[in-house]
Amino acid sequence: MFNGVRGIYLRETLILRKKLVKTVLASAVSPALFLIAFGYGVGQGAQVNGHDYLLFLLPGLLTMSSMNQSYGIATEINISRFYFKVFEEYLLAPLKRWEIVVAEMFYGVTKGLIPVVIIGIYTLLCGVQLTFGVRFLVALLLHLAIFSLLGLITALLVRNHSDQALMNSFLITPMMFLSGTFFPVEKMPVVIRAVAALSPLTYSTRLIRSTLIGDMAVNNALFPLLAVMVVVLFIVAYRVVNRVQI
Amino acid sequence: MRSFGSTLAVDNVSFQVYRGELFAFLGPNGAGKTTTINLLTGLLHPDRGEIRYRGERFNPDLLAVKQLIGVVPQHNNLDKELSVAENLRIHGILFGLRGRQLEERIRFCLEFADLLEKSATAAGKLSGGMKRKLVIARALLHQPKILFLDEPTVGLDPHSRRRMWAFLRRINVEQQCTVFLTTHYIEEAESLAQRVMIMDNAKIIAAGSPDELKSCGGDYVLDIYRGTDLDSEFFADRDAALRRLKQLDTVVRIRETTLEDVFLQLTGKRIAGGKGDV
Repeated sequence: MFNGVRGIYLRETLILRKKLVKTVLASAVSPALFLIAFGYGVGQGAQVNGHDYLLFLLPGLLTMSSMNQSYGIATEINISRFYFKVFEEYLLAPLKRWEIVVAEMFYGVTKGLIPVVIIGIYTLLCGVQLTFGVRFLVALLLHLAIFSLLGLITALLVRNHSDQALMNSFLITPMMFLSGTFFPVEKMPVVIRAVAALSPLTYSTRLIRSTLIGDMAVNNALFPLLAVMVVVLFIVAYRVVNRVQI
Repeated sequence: MRSFGSTLAVDNVSFQVYRGELFAFLGPNGAGKTTTINLLTGLLHPDRGEIRYRGERFNPDLLAVKQLIGVVPQHNNLDKELSVAENLRIHGILFGLRGRQLEERIRFCLEFADLLEKSATAAGKLSGGMKRKLVIARALLHQPKILFLDEPTVGLDPHSRRRMWAFLRRINVEQQCTVFLTTHYIEEAESLAQRVMIMDNAKIIAAGSPDELKSCGGDYVLDIYRGTDLDSEFFADRDAALRRLKQLDTVVRIRETTLEDVFLQLTGKRIAGGKGDV
């Protein structure tokens, strides 16, 4: 039982361990640049809803960077499927297809935790006070599960590497900029708000930010909303994996 | 039967492989050999028809049947960053091995494949022949009853190829494993297989033991050179070939029939030794 989950998760994490330095550096550089450009450049001295902009920005960077890492499993699955053909090993093994979904989701969640640690360090360096509590942890895990599953689904739906890159451009980049990472969505024009409403990152950013900033009201309704997204995406991922042939 | 769009890759193919057999599927690239293996191992689903293992109808959800199968794909689909032992360990876990049993099987397969000393080496740093052996060792780890090998010696030099043949014979005999291999090397099928099936243009065009197939058209061949053209004529025995030879006033070579002659007779195509040549 769960041999598939164990085997696939072990494989993914062993490879992650071999590439840990690269992964940590990749997770560290981009948020650091955003922090410098937006936090200390454009946003210096600015306030958002009564909070210092840096306090507003850091949780956004945390959700954005962790989303990038979790969703980033898409590229890895894509390469292992089309280039190294390692994915065939999973299809040949006597395992239930849902085990592939669970294992890849766990891996995506694991990978998404790396930038969380890095942003945590940045937070200390910036002298910003964030509250890393249980509600934050639950919100974070739901957020990472959503984007891991989204990564798995897109990786299995596309037919080649360039389609994968296209998906990243059309899905992930707009989400990064329109989901409340750098500015409050509520203050944007109605068209942008409508687009943001379609992005799961909007809801997870809102929830994670509110759990991290001590005096911000947490909208508890977002917990079940994210949980429903996880369930729906899990079902979709299972159906996609079930249909996969080489 | 299986098609991709308008291309028919496997067309009304029907055959049996018997327990303990070393069976070769011979044909040029694009004949449909890999698609057939992918259908047999559940990587592809047939559009029509069925596959049976030990009489039981196979579908990819039949996990017990998957446990019986070991697959060596055409490409070395190894995790290159991971060590030789790690590649095996992951495969073992996926196939339900654990603890001491898993470690013992890893050791046994590494010894069997002469890779024990390379156990901690990253798979990406192995030579081509070693990578191939590792893929085969991995397929053997869970003690399959049927081993599918898709072009197992592609890309290997002649020495490594011969060593691989010996290795495959050992698997067949010592592991009591039914071996099903595809190849476009005629000498490979001839040297290894107890039974050969020839496939071309998605269809099976002949089947039998190498000797049976060779005797189909005649045991002897006259190669008749006319300028740059080469014609071959087949004869039941050497005397008949010699009688014909006396009637000719051109360059002629007399020799025993090979599987390649059979293939040429059946398809009008020549399988060259090189990869991808037809």
